Amino acid sequence: MEQEAPVGVNEDVGDAKPGFSRIAPAVGPLLVLAPLAALPLFGPGPNTVRLLFVTLTLVTASVGWNLLGGFAGQISFGFAVFYGLGAYTAALSINAGIPPVVSFLMGAAVASVASLLIGLPTFRLKGPYFAIATIGVSEAVRVVMMNVPWTGGASGYRIVEKGRFFQMHHYYTALGLAALAVGISIIVRRSKLGLALTAIREDQDAASDLGVNPFATKLLIHALAAALAGAAGGVYARYAAYIDPDGVFAFRNGIAILLMPIIGGVGTIWGPVIGAFVYGLIHEEVVANFPQAHLLIFGSLLILIILFEPAGVVGLSNKLMRVLGRERKD
Amino acid sequence: MSAADLLNLFIAAVLLAGVYAAMSVGMTIIYGVMKIVNLAHAGFLMLGAYFVFEAYDRFHIDPLVGVLLAFPVFFFLGMGLHWLLIRRIATSDQPTLTSLLLLFGVWLVLQNLGYLIWGNSDRAILTPRTLSSFEIGPISFPTVRLVVFGAAVLSLVGLELVLHRTWFGRSVRALMQNNEAGQIVGVNVQRTAQVAFGVGIAFAGAAGGLLAMLYSFSPDFGATFQLRAFVIIVLGGLESFGGVAVGSLVLALAETFSILVLPASFQPAIAFSLLVLALIILPDGVAGLWNKRRRWV
Repeated sequence: MEQEAPVGVNEDVGDAKPGFSRIAPAVGPLLVLAPLAALPLFGPGPNTVRLLFVTLTLVTASVGWNLLGGFAGQISFGFAVFYGLGAYTAALSINAGIPPVVSFLMGAAVASVASLLIGLPTFRLKGPYFAIATIGVSEAVRVVMMNVPWTGGASGYRIVEKGRFFQMHHYYTALGLAALAVGISIIVRRSKLGLALTAIREDQDAASDLGVNPFATKLLIHALAAALAGAAGGVYARYAAYIDPDGVFAFRNGIAILLMPIIGGVGTIWGPVIGAFVYGLIHEEVVANFPQAHLLIFGSLLILIILFEPAGVVGLSNKLMRVLGRERKD
Repeated sequence: MSAADLLNLFIAAVLLAGVYAAMSVGMTIIYGVMKIVNLAHAGFLMLGAYFVFEAYDRFHIDPLVGVLLAFPVFFFLGMGLHWLLIRRIATSDQPTLTSLLLLFGVWLVLQNLGYLIWGNSDRAILTPRTLSSFEIGPISFPTVRLVVFGAAVLSLVGLELVLHRTWFGRSVRALMQNNEAGQIVGVNVQRTAQVAFGVGIAFAGAAGGLLAMLYSFSPDFGATFQLRAFVIIVLGGLESFGGVAVGSLVLALAETFSILVLPASFQPAIAFSLLVLALIILPDGVAGLWNKRRRWV
């Protein structure tokens, strides 16, 4: 990959840098993964494990969203569709006796195909069409799923698995998937595809002048992002053992998946992960303490972040580091 | 299905189209002048509905007068929102990520405020007009729909006059056609954008009031209508007022006649299907088709 970054592209697109900065990306994941992988040593209660499990599925969906929304700059409000389709596909296949891992893959595949159906009509056009279409799509799919008889319609669908229930087994599945998602995100960021996505985000016309096919690139990254969200939905469905359209296809899931990368830092590798942990941990508290006002809180948070710190937690900590670094020099 | 029934359906569709046009026109103005997709539209539709409801419930103000009052109230609300938030974000000739997310946040806040103030039970405005209708031969006209249609058309005519007879209207049209050229000839962009945002929100509030006369509502109420408004302005080519009228008619016809072939529970999916169809067949909207024809001639 011996090519120069096009002029005007952000400087931190992960091109070859010598020394520490080459190793750092590998150290970061280990620092995050190690305590999470060694979780049983801390002897957590089932509720903590459940909370972490849910947070890790959110991490996967959030990292997926960031591939499209952060790297390519295409805002989607409809990731609940992929999450829900993944959940339903995995649920149906597990009940048909297909091994769980294959079921998750099938969930991811179905979500990818669905992403093409949304992307094909909307990505060809510039402008707000994609974002607008994604608002409608989760509502339309939810309505259809409420009325489809073979998945139980509005009354939901139950997953029956033989054998005992091991919570840690589910936990490690979610952890593995989240690690895979972050790995994919790092690879995409450092590849030619990542450069193409940044170019599209900054200026689609210029990107296509440089030989990037915006339409195909956006379709590809949308499919990849949808696959991650679909797999996350599948893992969640197997754990929950019961899903219904109002649960997995709800518009608020789409909001949550979009909010997490924004809290953490859009377009960065670790922003969506941090955002998902912040969201996952405060969401329960907020819903428990202010059940009437949690949308108000998250909406205000969104407005404040957009107005004052569009780069989220990552941007804030970068600023802090810069201030600290300056003081040390003095 | 007799010819009279078909005619009844057709009239229902046309009456519905009037309200749809009033509901979408605010979004077109804001998009045209500022290239912002107003995701908070749904929130203001909902607030408008409750405004008219409260005016009727507490002060026994006729809902039609309530709608008239909603215009100035929501106009200043919109100007205030622009002053508080919207003017702080950069705009360009494309809707930016920032503007989408900001207004989405505003929508979440408004929706939640609705829940806090009014709870989540459904409300409805019931007047003596609500259930009455009159008949001409085999065709029946529900009175309230006729009244709402009349109010919607009147407000659209008023807007048309403002846009074509005033300096503000001329600046709005200039900015919609070409933002930079507008600036060069001396249009105050910030000022026009603020007033245009106010007008857009005023129409959202008033249209919410009109919709409240036809349907029951809850704080969740605006969402499905917001999607319809999107579909309509996309069908209309995003920035054309004539396009809004055509788009409203197309959507209203599709929704009304779909009950002949689809179960009613699928109706909310129709708007979305129409959106996808429109994007594939007519990416520039109905107005684009019209422009293309003109280019050939």
